[in-house]
Amino acid sequence: MIEIGATEGANRHNRHSLASLLSGPTREKLGLLKKKTMMTWAVFRKNKLGMAGLIILIGFLVMAVFAAQIMWILSVIGGWDSAYGPFDRVERVGLGTKPSSEHWLGTDLNGYDLLSRTIYGSRVSLLVGLVATAVSMGLGSAVGLLSGYWGGWKDEVLMRITDVFLVLPWLVLMIVLAAVLPGGPTVGKVILVIGITGWSSTARIVRAQVLSIKERAFVERARAIGAGDIHIVRKHVFPNVFPLVFANSILTIALSILSESTLSFIRLGPRSVDVVTWGNMLEDAVTGDAIINDLYLWVIVPGLCIVFVVLGFTFVGYALDEIFNPKLRRR
Amino acid sequence: MKRGTRVLARKVLNSFITLLLVIVINFMLFRMMPGDPVNFMVPQDPRIPHEYKLELIEEYGLRDPLHEQFITYIFDVFTLDFGDSFIQRQTPAMDYVLEYLKWTLILTGTSSILMIVIGMFMGIYAAWKRGSMFDTGSMAFSLFFYAMPTFWLAMMFILLFAIMWPVFPTDSALAYGTTLEFNLDSILDMLYHLVLPAVTLTLVSIGAFALIMRGSLIDVMTEEYITTAKAKGLTDSDVLRHHAVPNAMLPMIALIAIDIAYIVGGAFQVEYVFNYPGIGWATILAVYDNDWPVLQAAFFIIAVAVIIANLLADLLLVYMDPRVKLG
Repeated sequence: MIEIGATEGANRHNRHSLASLLSGPTREKLGLLKKKTMMTWAVFRKNKLGMAGLIILIGFLVMAVFAAQIMWILSVIGGWDSAYGPFDRVERVGLGTKPSSEHWLGTDLNGYDLLSRTIYGSRVSLLVGLVATAVSMGLGSAVGLLSGYWGGWKDEVLMRITDVFLVLPWLVLMIVLAAVLPGGPTVGKVILVIGITGWSSTARIVRAQVLSIKERAFVERARAIGAGDIHIVRKHVFPNVFPLVFANSILTIALSILSESTLSFIRLGPRSVDVVTWGNMLEDAVTGDAIINDLYLWVIVPGLCIVFVVLGFTFVGYALDEIFNPKLRRR
Repeated sequence: MKRGTRVLARKVLNSFITLLLVIVINFMLFRMMPGDPVNFMVPQDPRIPHEYKLELIEEYGLRDPLHEQFITYIFDVFTLDFGDSFIQRQTPAMDYVLEYLKWTLILTGTSSILMIVIGMFMGIYAAWKRGSMFDTGSMAFSLFFYAMPTFWLAMMFILLFAIMWPVFPTDSALAYGTTLEFNLDSILDMLYHLVLPAVTLTLVSIGAFALIMRGSLIDVMTEEYITTAKAKGLTDSDVLRHHAVPNAMLPMIALIAIDIAYIVGGAFQVEYVFNYPGIGWATILAVYDNDWPVLQAAFFIIAVAVIIANLLADLLLVYMDPRVKLG
C-alpha cells in the first residue's frame, strides 16, 4: 500500500522542493537553522568539559594548518639555524640524540628533529581521523536508514551483517584487512581500513532512531497526504537523526585517531618517506630503543599529543550528546 | 516464561548466523582478494620444494571453481583444519594458535574481573557522592585513561617500572625457559609476569564501566520506587544495596557484551608491547611473516571466542531482566 503511493508522492515532492529552493521559504529556513545553531551554541558554551575540548581541538587544528609557520616562529625564538622540517636530516643516522637547545625534543634514529615531526604529525593524524570517520558515518547512516526504513527481511540481513562488524574486535579486523587488502601502506588504504571497520555502531544508532520516528504521528500524517519515501526520509527522518549522528561522529573521530596510531605503531599504518604520524614516531621510538637510551621525550610527547586530541574530541562529543539527547539533558 | 525462551532461542540463532558470516568473510578475505589466492594459501619461500607447493594447491583445490573451493573450505573449517603454518611447517596452524590462546584468556580474564569489579564500585561511589571531589576525580581519571592509546600506556609502564624503578618484568609470561606447572613457584612467577600487562589492560577499560555504572545508578535513583523505599524508612545503604544497585546492573551487563571486542583489541596491544605470548602477539607476528594459515586460524578462533562470550553476556542479561523473562 505504501509502495504504490511512494513513487507518486516522491515525484510530486521533488517538483515542490526544486521550486522552494529559489523562493522565500528557503531564506526563512536558513534563518531557522541559524537560530537553532545559536541555541545549541548557547547550551554548549555552558558545558565546561565541552568548551575545554573545543579549545584543545582548535589548538591542534592551528598546529596542523600552520605547522611551517609555528616552526619558523620557534626557530626565531630558539635562535636555530633554520626552521627544521619533519624530513630534514639534521643529525647523522644512528640512535637519536638527547634534547638540546637546537632540538628541544632531540632527534630520532633517522636524524630528524622530533619537535618538527611532532608538530607536522598532527596533519596526518587529524586527516585520517576526519576522513575515516566520514567514510564510516556515511556507510553506517546508509545501512541504518535503509535497514530501519525497509524493515522485514532486508532489515534482518543488514542487521546480521552489522552484528558481525559489531562483535568482531576492531583491531583484529583492521589487522587482517590491512594485511590482505592489496596496495601498499598508503594513507588512503589506512583510511579505508578504519572506515570499513568502524561503521557498525552508527548503523545501530541510526536504525533505532529511524524505527522510533517511523511510528510517530507526524510521519503518519505526511504519508496520509501523499508524501513519498524520499520526502519522509529527507524532511522528517534525516533532521531527527542528524544531531545524534553528529554527536556520535565526533566520538568516532577520537576512535579513528586511536585506530590510526595503533595501526601505525604495529607497522600496519601509512609508511613512506614523506609521511609522519604520531604512531609512526612511537614505532620509531621502539625500533630506536628510546626508553633504554634515556630518550624519554621521544616516547612521552607524541603519546601525549594523541591523548589530548582524543580527549578533545571525546569532551566535545559527550557535550553534544548531552545537548542532542534529551534523556541525558535532565541530569 | 514463553517469551523468555523465545528471546533465548533468537539470541542463539543470531550468534550462529554471525558465526556463519564470519566463516564466509574469512573465505572471501583470503581467496577472493585481487591477485592469485595461491599467494595466500601456499608459502612463497623459494627454499620450499616445488612438489610441496603443488601438493597444497591440490589439497585446497586452488585451481577448482570458486564454489568447489568453498565447499572444501567449509569442510576444513568444521574439522578445524586451516593447513600448516608457513613458518613452522609440520605444525597445524590451529594447534599453533591454540597454544597462544591460553595466555590471552589468562590476561583478558584477570583484567576483565578487575575492571568490572573496580569500575562498578567506582561508579557506585561516584553516583552516591554525586558532585563530590571523588565524583569529579573518578570521572577525570576514567576519561583520561579512556583517551589513552593502550600501547602507549604499556610503554609508559615499561619506562616507570622497568627502567626508572625496576620492579616488574616486561617481557614474556614466565621466567625464561620455564613452562607453566601446577606448583606455587610457577604460578607465582606467572602472576609476577602478569602484573604490568593486566594493570595496563584494566586501566584503559575501567573508565567505561565506572561511567556507565554511575550514569545508570543516577538514572535509577530518580525512580519512584526509590522514593518509596526511602519513605518506608530504610537506611541509605539499604536503599542502595537492595533497591538501587541491582536495578542499575543491567546496563553494566550490556556493556560487558559490547566491551569484549575492545578488551580483545587492547589485549593485542598489551601483548605486543610486553612480548606476552598471547594470540594477539602471535597474530601480529603472523602478519609480519605473511603466515596466512595462522592468520586465518587466529581470526576464526578469536571470532568464535568473542561470539560465545557475547552470547553468554546476552543470556545473562535475559536471565537478570525479569521484564524479558515474564513480559
